[in-house]
Formats: sequence, structure tokens, C-alpha cells
Amino acid sequence: MPGHFPANILFVLIFITASGFFLLTVYKLYRIMRLGRWEDRFDRPWERIKGVATFVLGQRRVIKEPAGWGHFFIFWGFVVITIGSIETFGVGIYHGFAYWKFLGKGATSLLYLLQDLLCLAVMVALGIALYRRFVIKPERLLYEDQRAANQDASIIIGLILLLVVLLVGARAVEYLLSQNEAGSYFPKSAFISIALAGLFRGVSEEALQGWYSLLWWSHTLIILLFLVYIPFSKHLHILGAIPNVFFRRFGSIGELSKMDLEDETAETFGVSKIEEFTWKQLLDLYACTECGRCSDNCPATLTGKPLSPKLTIHHLREHLQKKGKVLLSQRGKDETEAVNPEGELGRALVGEVCQQDELWSCTTCGNCMENCPVFIEHIHKYVDMRRYLVLMESSFPPEVQNVMRNWETNSNPWGLGFASRGDWAKGLPVKTLAEDSQVEYLFYVGCAGSFDERSKKISSAMVTLLNEGGVSFAILGAEEKCCGETARRIGNEYLFQTMAGELVETINSYGVQKIITTCPHGYNCLKNEYPQFGGQWAVYHHSEILSQLLRAGRLQTKLSLDKHLVFHDSCYLGRYNSIYDQPRALIKSIPGLRFSEMDRSRNKSFCCGAGGGRMWMEETLGDRKINDARTEQALVLEPDIIGVCCPFCTTMFEDGLKDRNMEEKVRVYDLAELLVQTVNSEKK
Amino acid sequence: MNIVVLLKQVPDTETKIRIGGDGKTIDTSDIKWIMNPYDEYAVEAALRLQESAGAKVTILSMGPERVVESIRTALAMGADQGVLVNDPGTEGSDALGKAKVLAAVLKNLEFDLVCCGHRAVDDDENQVGIMVAELLGIPHLGLAISVELGDGKIRIVRPIEGARVTLEGTLPALVTFGGAHAVWNPRYASLPGIMKAKKKPLETKTIADLGLSPDEVGMQAAKVKITAMELPAERQAGRVLEGETSDKAKELVRLLHEEAKVI
Repeated sequence: MPGHFPANILFVLIFITASGFFLLTVYKLYRIMRLGRWEDRFDRPWERIKGVATFVLGQRRVIKEPAGWGHFFIFWGFVVITIGSIETFGVGIYHGFAYWKFLGKGATSLLYLLQDLLCLAVMVALGIALYRRFVIKPERLLYEDQRAANQDASIIIGLILLLVVLLVGARAVEYLLSQNEAGSYFPKSAFISIALAGLFRGVSEEALQGWYSLLWWSHTLIILLFLVYIPFSKHLHILGAIPNVFFRRFGSIGELSKMDLEDETAETFGVSKIEEFTWKQLLDLYACTECGRCSDNCPATLTGKPLSPKLTIHHLREHLQKKGKVLLSQRGKDETEAVNPEGELGRALVGEVCQQDELWSCTTCGNCMENCPVFIEHIHKYVDMRRYLVLMESSFPPEVQNVMRNWETNSNPWGLGFASRGDWAKGLPVKTLAEDSQVEYLFYVGCAGSFDERSKKISSAMVTLLNEGGVSFAILGAEEKCCGETARRIGNEYLFQTMAGELVETINSYGVQKIITTCPHGYNCLKNEYPQFGGQWAVYHHSEILSQLLRAGRLQTKLSLDKHLVFHDSCYLGRYNSIYDQPRALIKSIPGLRFSEMDRSRNKSFCCGAGGGRMWMEETLGDRKINDARTEQALVLEPDIIGVCCPFCTTMFEDGLKDRNMEEKVRVYDLAELLVQTVNSEKK
Repeated sequence: MNIVVLLKQVPDTETKIRIGGDGKTIDTSDIKWIMNPYDEYAVEAALRLQESAGAKVTILSMGPERVVESIRTALAMGADQGVLVNDPGTEGSDALGKAKVLAAVLKNLEFDLVCCGHRAVDDDENQVGIMVAELLGIPHLGLAISVELGDGKIRIVRPIEGARVTLEGTLPALVTFGGAHAVWNPRYASLPGIMKAKKKPLETKTIADLGLSPDEVGMQAAKVKITAMELPAERQAGRVLEGETSDKAKELVRLLHEEAKVI
């Protein structure tokens, strides 16, 4: 009988062994994680705690999708049952242990009620989970090694199911036993357990004791087995997710870290070995549950590219666990003694664990990170490995080399003469800072707005609108330089830092305080990354400025536009900077314009395919082009106009339409171009 | 094995060229300077030989201080050392004057092979490399699109109107390089390469160091002089014809006949 001598001694021994084993495994995982480089994630503790409350206890991101509600109940069932398990373990040590003696009958009744309800909810949720995995088979759960994945999932689901069934069973018998025992108490609130007790009616007291013993032991042993198994399965996320949410990244999701390129002692740059990631990047790997939401929203995965964020994380974790073990066992030994049991030490992170095509397929759109319930940071891993390839190996898609040269010589990706950068503004009513630096805003035009024929129209529309709205502004003209955003995303941090240094110097020499941009890439980079290099300005995207001008009545839309428009949220505006409402305010200000939301809109928006330097790479892999997929998603709504807020998105959609011979029927406009058509140009 | 690459710094091909006040030189303000692309192919070829034959690669150039940047670029790509002849006395040299300066440096260097672009994209003279070979009394193999070493000989492939000819020469020799970016794909310097390049030896010389006097090179000695420069006529804006297709065709024929006078 549990809680009586010698069963209690046996239980304590088993308990200590299992917990010891568990703690040892966790400690090993911790040591492996600490092989990573140092990174400070201890700032803003209060916000971090709040994050855990919202995203772990509240499961905010998990329940964004219907299947997540199943997880919600399993999670809370797990929490409440774990509280119950403490009582169960107490009983194992001393049979007279009971919560009601400490907590009172009221609280215990509530706990038992919750436990019964959640056991039921967990059983339903697990049933749905099994149905989903084995009958519906959603694509995101599909796997390279489907058998192993299903096996792992089945073991876990089976164990939890058994665990709750046995718990309710044990409770039922406990209830019957309590009826005959003076001074005992069993809460009537546990109505499911009590109802189940009906199954044992007529069973003798002695047999009941036997049943109780059997159910208690099997329930308890399964908990302990579960404890031991967790760290070896994908259910490691139970341990990884909470700290991963706690140590999450604040601010712009894809903000890249500044590399120390002056470090003379550095032997290598970027990441080419798993242990060169930071500890937080490694913790990410423990937190992954392989739910697949990242890949389900990844433009590369969905167009058949050799990139699936879920698989990347999975491969990295497998490699980390194998290599980490070897690295730890060899600490303090010299290299000649090094053993390499599974060949894992020799496996190249870049090229074997992760393929080069995989790394170059990422558009850095951030959809993976936005959808990850446990805040895994995928983009930074891809960029860190790209940094290694570019800085150390000079290895990148060949077409990129020309673009990098163009940046170096002429500070724009097209390689057009730097001195002609301001030519787009010839004849337009706009001054340069050199002519007049006493203005409120610098209009930072960017490379596309300065050199690309199509995007120059957006720049001139902006000049008209800013003048119309009475905004005091100037441009840099030929003095302007590329912001380097794309070079940075490609991994060429050296080139980026060179460009950033020059641009900061130029802008600061005029004492600029506020900047307007039309390109979300420049916007994000100047706003969120330039502070790393001494660029401390208030940076605004034109959709912010224009919506402000409209609200203040400084711009008034007068002419009607009888058209149907769909709007595409740019990644670097939306997911990176949460600008969703301002463009919509612009759209709604235009009389007559009918507006439809795309299926994938706002933070679920689907990348146009140009981000992360992909604008400058050939798109030869996969079964279709990303811009083609996105154009199709827009065309489903039969618009007259595709509204965008980014010069690169403009190009991608126009190309997508041309490929379908639709460019005459459907037009792509930056919202500034639409607004300029409807604003009365007569002075008020 | 020692390889010397002759390198010229030229204005970036996208630079908007303006003629200077004297009408004979270009205005060098607002110019972005780059390594002459054909010389860059020569650097790439030399570095491939450095890897395959264990050669030491020296970059040799002449011009003002700004040329150091282009030499460092070649060092970052992997060349071992640099020499710059920086002397105002060389200004205004014609091709022969430049060749004399370069040959004078080469006479004091150990070399088995000299590589350079067949021409520089600024003045398009196609002369300096060949003249250097002549002054040194070594064979010249021109317009290489591939190069290989073996048995103390050098072999190059040179295209002739789509056909190819293979040439073989004895060492030491001078090879001028042709081809295009797509043929040579010059390497992109890695960050460690850039960092190491900052510390690689770069020697600066004057013409006096070379035992040359100002009347042998420079403006005074030039046998060929630029007397005038002229920019191409500015291109007129295009015209889009409007109207029905048949009218547009008629108008087009009329314009080609009467205005363009091509038919």
C-alpha cells in the first residue's frame, strides 16, 4: 500500500532516482547551452515576467490558431495535475497526507473540481490531437522522418492520456475507500471521479485496496517516467519554452546585432560552428515543439524553396545535442586525444547541417518569428551564418557580387553614378540640406527612390504631398548614400558598417533631428539599427507622416477614385515596426476607393519576395516565385489597384502582374501616388 | 615563382566624365576611382597561379596617393605586396613614359611573369603592357582568357572572333588579359583578407629611386600628347508615337526617312 512501510521507502528511492536523473539531464542541457557565446538578455525584468504571464500562462500566441486551444487545455491540465501530483507524492511518503488538512475543504474542493474538469478537457484535446496527426495530417506536421516524429508524439500523447485516466481512476477508488473510513474526507466536487466510482460498486474493501495500490503506483510511475523522458523528446519544450519566452527579444523583430569588426583577436566572423551562436540562440532550439507554424507561414517553404524554418531548428537541435555532448566530454583534453564518436565534430554547420541554399532562401520577412508561440528567433541564425559565408568565405550567390561592388563604388545596388543620385529631383520644388539646413525634416529618399525609374515617381509624389501639406523638408541630393540595409541582411556587415558610418556622418553634419523615408527597409534600418552607429533621429515612414497630415487637415482628399484596392503590408513596415493602421487611414481617406483586406494581411502578410537581399538574387529554386504567389493572393480579390508602401514591393508586384499579362488591368501604386492623385493642388 | 601585376587606377565606369578647363584633361573632382577591370582580371589570374603554383604576387602601380586604395584592394584579394611609384614627375606621361617607369621598377624586381590588363578603360590605349615587355626584352602574349604554367613555359588561350588560339611562350614573359567579368569572376575580398591587407608591405618609390630623370618620363618627354577632348553629343529624349497602329507606322517611316535619314 502506498505510504505504508516499506512501500514508502521504495517510492522515495524511485522518486529520488528519477528526479536525480532528470536534474542531471537538465544540467547537461544547460551546460551544452552555455557552450554558446555570451549575450545579455537580463534587461527589463518586469516586462519579461509580464511576457511569461501573457505568453506562457495566457498562451496568447498559442491560441491564435484553433489547434492552439487544445494546447491551452493540455497546458493548464498539466499545471493543475502537477499540483495534484504533489499530493499524490505526499501520500506515497505518508498515507495520511491530504491537501484538505492544510488547505481546508473549500480550497481542496475547488482543486479537485478543476482537476476533474481539466482531466476531461485534456482527454478531449488529446483525442483531437491524435485525430489531427493521424487522420487530418496537416502539412505542417509532416516531417522528413515521419515515423520517428509520429512515434515521439504518440509516446507523449499516450503517456499523458494514461496519466489522466489513471488519475481519475485512482481518485474514484479513493472516494470509495473514504466512504468507509472515519475521519477521512473526499470532496464531492470531483464529480467525474465520483461518477466513475460506479464501476467499482460491489467490489470488496480488500480488492479496492488492491485496485488503489495498482492505480496509484502506475499513475505515479508514469509521471516519473514522463519526467525522465521529457528532455529526450521534443517535449523538451516544456522546459525550454518558459525561459525562452522570458528571455525574448524586444523591439523590432529582425534587428541585427552590431558585429565588432575591429577586434584584432577575432579569428572568425559570423557563425560557422554551433557553439558560435549565443546561449539564447541555443535555448531557442530547446524551446521548439515542432508545431510548424513558422514553416506554414514561410514564403520560401510555401513556394517550394529548400528552406523550412521548422526543419532548420530541428537540424540545429540534433546537431547541438550530439556535438555539445562530445565538446563537453573533451573539455580540458588536448586535441590529439579528441574522440569524435558520431563524426558530429567534423560536420560543417554551414553546408551540412544547414545548406547554403537554405540560408540564401530566407527573405527575412519575419513571419516565422511572428508566428512562433515560444519566440524562437530564426532570422538571426540565418543572417549569422550568411555573415560567416560572406565575410570569411566570400561565398554567396554569384549575382550578388556585382551588387556589392556597386554599393562599394557608387553606394547604390544598381551601380549608377553616385553623383547623379539627386538628379530625380531636378526641376522639382525641393531643396537640398546644403542649400537650406534649417528645415524640420530630412527626406531620406533611398536608392530606389533616387535611381529606379518606377520609384522616382513615388519620390516626386512625396515632394508634392509634403509641399502641399506645408512640411518643412529637404533632401541630401548627391550627398545621400545608401543606408546599407540590404548589404547587412545579405551578411556583409563590413560593407554595411562602412556605409552606415558615412551616412551617419553626413546626416549628423547637418544637425538633422527628424527623417522621413518612403522605403520600409531604410525606415527600419535608420530607425532601429542606426542608433548602434550614432544615428539618433526620429524616423518616420511616409505613411505615418501622410496620415498625420490628413488627420490634421493639412492635406485634404478632394477627388474621388472609383476603384477597388487591396493593400499589401510590407514586412519591414508591419511585422518589423507594427505600422498597420496608418496606411489604412490613407486608403480610407480617399473618397470612392473600395478597400478589401487580403487573406494574409497585417501581421500575417506574405512577403513579396524581395527582402533579405532576395531582391538582388535570382529566384531559380522552388516550384514558383514568391512574388507570383503573392500576386495571385492579391488577384483573388479582383482588385483594380494593388496598394503598397515600399518600392521593392512595387517592383515585385509589377513583375508578378507582367508575368500574367495583367499589368494593363491591375495597377500597382504606392499609397503616396494614390494620395497625390486625389489631393486638391490649389492652395487653401 | 614571382608574379608582378601591373595595375592602373581608373575612374569608375559609371562616372559622369567632365572635361577640364584646359580641354585636354578630365575634371577629376567627384570621381570614384576603381581598379581597371582588365587589371582586376590579371590580379585574379595571378592569384589563381599563386594558389596552384605557390607564386608570390606583387602589385605594381603608378600615380598619386589615392592609388594606394586600389593596391590595398588587390592585397585584400590575396596579393602579397605592393609597390607604388608616386612622383609628380610622372604626370602627363604618354604610354611609353609609363612603360619606362614600370619597366624600371621591374628591372630591380625578381619576376617570372608580368600580368596586366590589355588596356585600361579610361584612355583605351592598349599600349603600356606591350611596351613594358619590349623594354624588358621578354615575350608578350596578348588578350588571354585563360592562363596556365608548366615546364618553365606559359600557355594562354586567346579568342579570335569566336575561335580560339593557344599560345605558348618561354618565361619570363608578360601576359595581357582580355575577357570579361563573366570569364574571370574576380574574387570578392574576405574580411580577414581586408584586415591582413592593411598590414601587407607597400613600398612607395619616386622616379629618382628608379634612376630615371624627369626628362625621360612625364609631360616633357611625351612623344604623344592629347591635344583635345570632346564628349559625345548628348542623347535626345526618345519620342513615343501616339494614335492608331497604321498611322503610327506611317509616321515612323516618315521620321526614319526625313529626320533620321536612315531609309
